[in-house]
Amino acid sequence: MTTPIIRRIVGWLLPFLWIFSFYIMLFGHLSPGGGFSGGSVLGACLILDRHVNGANAFGARFTGERLLKLSLAALLLYGILKGQSFLAGVLHMNGLPIPLGTPGNILSSGLILPLNVLVGIVVAVAFYLIATLFEEGHL
Amino acid sequence: MKRKIAAVLITVSFIAFLLIGLSDFPPYGTADSAVYNEVTARYLEKSIEETGAVNAVAGMILDYRAFDTFIEASVIFTALVLVLMMLQKNDKANGGDGNDHAHH
Repeated sequence: MTTPIIRRIVGWLLPFLWIFSFYIMLFGHLSPGGGFSGGSVLGACLILDRHVNGANAFGARFTGERLLKLSLAALLLYGILKGQSFLAGVLHMNGLPIPLGTPGNILSSGLILPLNVLVGIVVAVAFYLIATLFEEGHL
Repeated sequence: MKRKIAAVLITVSFIAFLLIGLSDFPPYGTADSAVYNEVTARYLEKSIEETGAVNAVAGMILDYRAFDTFIEASVIFTALVLVLMMLQKNDKANGGDGNDHAHH
């Protein structure tokens, strides 16, 4: 049920929402937010875009299978990145040397920034695919 | 049938594994257990130094307890796959016998 009102308002809102979702994910280690909340907003962006723009939406460029593979790849990468540091700790070895940086900078706190983005990808894909499935009946 | 038995065995052994872990917990509400004293103090005092994150919550869920977050993300992914398996209309995702692929 897309009316011109929704179309216009979403058109104004979406650019800011895109930026806001990436802000939440990329600044998760500095301010409130992180992978789950940023991924929710990113998923909402994809859903609104798909609802208003249909086949021209950004998400419509990818098949559901591709997005699932992207989500799985993000999950596996998370497991590898964190698994190596946990295993290294258990075996009393040195894991990948990842500098912690200066607390407060964007590029700091080691793995937390990339892990936030990976979690965000998983959450956004899940929201988007389920909403698309419920609205259109197929992917 | 074999797969069902395997599934039950895996589930039962996982439950047993979790219950064995649970039996090591201190009794509920114990005031002097480490969880309520040392862990909290350590997280609050040393999280910036040890994880580099100004946001202490991010330091906890993605550094000290990153595996917990990993499993949380896996749960979301599994839920997504199950919803797609159960509710998708076309035969391709339902694990059909492969004869239906010609129609799509």
